[in-house]
Amino acid sequence: MKKIVGVLIGLCAFGAHAQVIVIANPKLDISEIGRADVYHVFTGGSSALGNGTKVLPALQNDGKVEDEFLKNYIHKPHAAFMATWRSFVFAGQATLPKSLESDAEVVEFVATHPNAIGYIDKASPHADVKVLPVK
Amino acid sequence: MINAFRSSFLGVIALVTVAAPVCAQSIEDLNLQFHGYATQSFLYTTKNNILTANSSDGSPAWTEAVVNLSALPQPKLRISLQVRYSIIGQLGNAFTLDYAAAEYKVNDRFGVRFGKVKTPSSLYNTQQDIDPSYMWSLLPQSVYPVLSRNSLLANFGGLAFGTIPLGEKFGKLVYAGYGGQISLASNDGFIIPIKDAGFGAPNGYGETLAGGSLRWKTPIPGLLIGAANSHDFTSSVPITYDAGLITGTFAGKPFNNQTFSASYDHNKFSVASEYTRIPFSALISLPAPFPYPHVPYSFDNRGWYGMASYKITGKWAAGLYNSQFFNHAAAKGPARYSKDWALSTRYDFNEYLYAKAEQHWIDGTAVLYDTWNNTGGLQPDTHLTILKMGVSF
Repeated sequence: MKKIVGVLIGLCAFGAHAQVIVIANPKLDISEIGRADVYHVFTGGSSALGNGTKVLPALQNDGKVEDEFLKNYIHKPHAAFMATWRSFVFAGQATLPKSLESDAEVVEFVATHPNAIGYIDKASPHADVKVLPVK
Repeated sequence: MINAFRSSFLGVIALVTVAAPVCAQSIEDLNLQFHGYATQSFLYTTKNNILTANSSDGSPAWTEAVVNLSALPQPKLRISLQVRYSIIGQLGNAFTLDYAAAEYKVNDRFGVRFGKVKTPSSLYNTQQDIDPSYMWSLLPQSVYPVLSRNSLLANFGGLAFGTIPLGEKFGKLVYAGYGGQISLASNDGFIIPIKDAGFGAPNGYGETLAGGSLRWKTPIPGLLIGAANSHDFTSSVPITYDAGLITGTFAGKPFNNQTFSASYDHNKFSVASEYTRIPFSALISLPAPFPYPHVPYSFDNRGWYGMASYKITGKWAAGLYNSQFFNHAAAKGPARYSKDWALSTRYDFNEYLYAKAEQHWIDGTAVLYDTWNNTGGLQPDTHLTILKMGVSF
């Protein structure tokens, strides 16, 4: 019985994790994105992908989607992630991207801005944008 | 001349600032952002008073508050400015402009910035005013003297910058070329030795400079190698003696300020090292009755440091550095050098609030000190403790 409860708790914990996908505006002329590109454009290190395509990143406010995204692609906790962005802002080298409240807002923003990319939970509706497999 | 130069460039910034809303369709299109930070430090030294504070008694006289405004009226046009209020010991208690610039970035390969722009002369020069961005309470003073931060940080002029990809095998080259004028306030750290010698520089010191930096982001992930050179042209400013009764000139000669840097980040571990040299000479000319009409003044400052830090957890980091400074133009003795070991830690309570603690073991008196606040004379060595709280948004 204890084993069954343990397995159920484990499954619930697993279910609490979002499966994050990277999305882009359908007009953006790419079909996939590299891990290094994800890191650089979402941390302010670059405003373009390695192939020169200019992108407009959208962030999500603190939550399970952001936590999972930061864990998988940025390898920094939220505070350190924001500190990195603020360093660029204080240095006059970048403007903090839009920070949106939910997957729906991210999808709407990405769908309505030609160069936009963002990240959402795979389970959220995302018919108006395209999914970029991360290589 | 400097004021005219400064006014012209700030005029350009003002023009762009006024024109930007016209280009943008609404306030939201401007992407106007407001950020800031504030820090409060406590200084304690075992012997000498440091940073012009009465630190041997324990002093809270290091306070900084910064506001940062930026706007992005067009995707390629950014306007930003940063204003600081600071108190460091007996200095400051005033608002200063860290920078105010308009940037047009064509792409990652090429962009230009005009106004009061940050000078990318060394690894952390453009970050040295951003306390929340680094772990240390005091950056290595051999390369980043905090009492000269405002003059080293930025110049009134222009900057071209970009990043050139060299292919997967060769990494990237980050370049910057700049030219403009810097202005040292009358209480700048570089002027403290002149004041200690009995002179006054009522208008501070200003000079024209032109320089460039190259940073190679090598194909080895995390490894960066850099070099920079700044050529400072000749300049002449008024100088006073005998409590202002005698007025003369202080004429600086041209010189090159070279810096070489390397840094390596791997997972939670970071190391960095830099070397810089400032060989400066000037001629002080005073009319009679001063006994020596022409007095040579010079310093040959050479500084280097090596630092290492480790992120113990997502919120907690620690590190140490050794910073050494030598003025090869000075007479032998503790005033010729400064050798500083620092042990530092930082804890981030959350995204906004952090605390720092740092212990220094300083041998030599060439950096951080003044004589007017150490009237009993300087001791050759001092221990310094810094506790700092910071908030940023």
